[in-house]
Amino acid sequence: MVDASVVDPALVAANAKGMIAIGAGIAVGLAGIGAALGEQAIGAAAVGAMAEDEKFFGKGLLMTVIPESIAIFGLVVALILLFVF
Amino acid sequence: MLKPTKMTRVVIAGSKDIMETTISTLHRLNALHITDYTEEMKEFKIGRPLKPASKFSEYLLSLRAISNQLGVTGKEPVSKKSAKELAAQFDEKITKLQKEVSSRFEELRSIEFKIKEKEDIISSVKPFFGLPLSMDSYHGYDTLKVYTGYIGNNFEEKLSKITKNYELFTGEYEKRKIFALFVPKALEGDIQKLLQEEYTYVELKVPHLKGNPPVILDELTKEVSALKEKQAAIKSELENIKNEYSEFVLAADEYLSAETQKAEAPLKFATSPNAFIIDGWVPSRRFGEIESGLAESTRGLAYLARIEEEAKEEEIPIELENPALAKPFELLIDTFATPKYKEIDPASVIFITFPLFYAIMLGDVGYGIIVAAMAMVIKNKFKTGGLNALALILFLSAILSILFGFIFGEFFGFPIFNVEVKGEMEHGILGIAGPVIAGMHLPIHRFGEVQVLLLMTLFIGIFHIFLGLIIGFRNITVEHGLKHAVYEKGSWMMILVGGVTVIAKLMPSLMSRTPLQTGDPVFIIGMGLALIGMVLLIKGEGFISILELPTLLSNVLSYSRILAIGLSSAGIALAVNTMSMNLFIRPGGVLLGGGIGLALVGVVILFIGHLINLLLGILGPGLHSLRLQYVEFFTKFYEGGGKKYAPFGYNKKYTEE
Repeated sequence: MVDASVVDPALVAANAKGMIAIGAGIAVGLAGIGAALGEQAIGAAAVGAMAEDEKFFGKGLLMTVIPESIAIFGLVVALILLFVF
Repeated sequence: MLKPTKMTRVVIAGSKDIMETTISTLHRLNALHITDYTEEMKEFKIGRPLKPASKFSEYLLSLRAISNQLGVTGKEPVSKKSAKELAAQFDEKITKLQKEVSSRFEELRSIEFKIKEKEDIISSVKPFFGLPLSMDSYHGYDTLKVYTGYIGNNFEEKLSKITKNYELFTGEYEKRKIFALFVPKALEGDIQKLLQEEYTYVELKVPHLKGNPPVILDELTKEVSALKEKQAAIKSELENIKNEYSEFVLAADEYLSAETQKAEAPLKFATSPNAFIIDGWVPSRRFGEIESGLAESTRGLAYLARIEEEAKEEEIPIELENPALAKPFELLIDTFATPKYKEIDPASVIFITFPLFYAIMLGDVGYGIIVAAMAMVIKNKFKTGGLNALALILFLSAILSILFGFIFGEFFGFPIFNVEVKGEMEHGILGIAGPVIAGMHLPIHRFGEVQVLLLMTLFIGIFHIFLGLIIGFRNITVEHGLKHAVYEKGSWMMILVGGVTVIAKLMPSLMSRTPLQTGDPVFIIGMGLALIGMVLLIKGEGFISILELPTLLSNVLSYSRILAIGLSSAGIALAVNTMSMNLFIRPGGVLLGGGIGLALVGVVILFIGHLINLLLGILGPGLHSLRLQYVEFFTKFYEGGGKKYAPFGYNKKYTEE
């Protein structure tokens, strides 16, 4: 049995900080995977379109970054976790 | 600015004997966008090309073939050639060129074929170097069968089990064992079977040649090098022809293209047996040019009318009109879609927002300077076209990046000014504290002030989206009337403003975990505004539009990428700097503390790291800034679908009348 009064408050704070950091990491990591899944399909299609007509390069590149929003949302959540809490 | 050029519809009619004059006048003026005549009526049919059309296209075809074979590429002209002189020459010159070029090309091809043939023989003779036999001893036996090829080590053992009546020669070629086996024809079946079972056996065909392999090889190599010399000679001759004629080829190509265009123009006209009608659009400011030009050249015989009657919006060709600085940004508009005639042309808005977003993302004095220099190099290399426009856009963005780099106090990721981050002092390159400009303490450190900057980017987003909605409101008012505009765009404006107010009041109490002051009048007004907006939206667009509400939130949040991309770029720069400085160049704070070798490693890391970050820094901010325009901004108002204005004429580079 651990007596609650014995727990070092500094340790609790450090623990909480670590949890926040882990949470931020998970947010960025999972969001990155999500964005990658989206980009994979678009990127493949864009390369296909470019093989037909090289003029698609610009549009293809642009389409490919569209799912990147998801990664950025993850980053924003992480930033809020790290800097606001 | 903001609106496409005003267009006037023109109809030109006349009798057929002035058709050619009319065509060449219009072609010279390069102002009329001709609408294709498509409906065939009893009286008026689509016109037939003028007589020289087929002749011109034939010339053009052979000229292009020659130009392809010679590899003539477009370059800046030294001087313009006179069209008249050209017209007198090209019949003779093209025929001559064709003869010279095509005969040389054929010769070249046959030489290449011969070289290939010889080289094939060489590679098939080479393995027989390993065997002490002359090439003719492999052929011409009535009672003997000859096998040649690569084989494994203990072949003779297996062979001797079948028969003693054989002669075997073995040798080595490129570390593989090669053999030649002579056996009586009677044994053919058994040997065949043996070889088939021997997995190391690879058959080699013996070329039908006479003499010893080294002698043969020597001769062949000599022949090949003679052929190669000849090939080089012809190539240099072709190169000479190219240098001599490339200006003529380019000029003639231009002349013929323009003439073909003229000759084929009647395909767009409506013609009867004796008359023709041209229907088209001209920028209103250039109407006078066409009027006076035609009056002069046809001595008033061509009838020209300005049509005031309302035309379908999609039929009016679009010429974008913007101040010189905003002109390159039309490229970004055209990549998305050409606006319709009554729509706002957003090029001059993007002229401000694109570089602004780019600059906040890149925000580094050092990178800004390099990108600006690169943009200048590209701009000077490509004087016209898409790359030139892109270079100008990049240049403007880079200049603004330098400014923001100053505000953020970053130079290749190193702090410029002394700054305190989270209680620790960072020493800048200049070693002084940042200046105070207009009450703002510089620098605004990007890692230190994440919260402030995040809020700022969201405000930029709200403003940008609101601007989009205002433009949308105007577009819809013009197209469908005020009522529709209120339903479609006014509702969204209310939701945006109301929603932002509500969230602004909600967030602090959520953060500090205090109960919300629901009696706050600002909160109530915001809530009310958002609700009215929603009601209008449902009334205008149906209940399903409720599903679109969250997109507004994600649109606004999307602007946080302005901060995020910037942070990642600054983060990479910081990581590279820390790594190379603290580990290699100044370990333990001592310059070259780890020796010159380690310091060099540090310099390499510094260089490669910043190079990669610079490339990412051009691509990332550019694409994401563009995406904010296309996905978040344009969707609020832009429909597009206009037809580009393509005047009948030719921009002459190499020739003049």
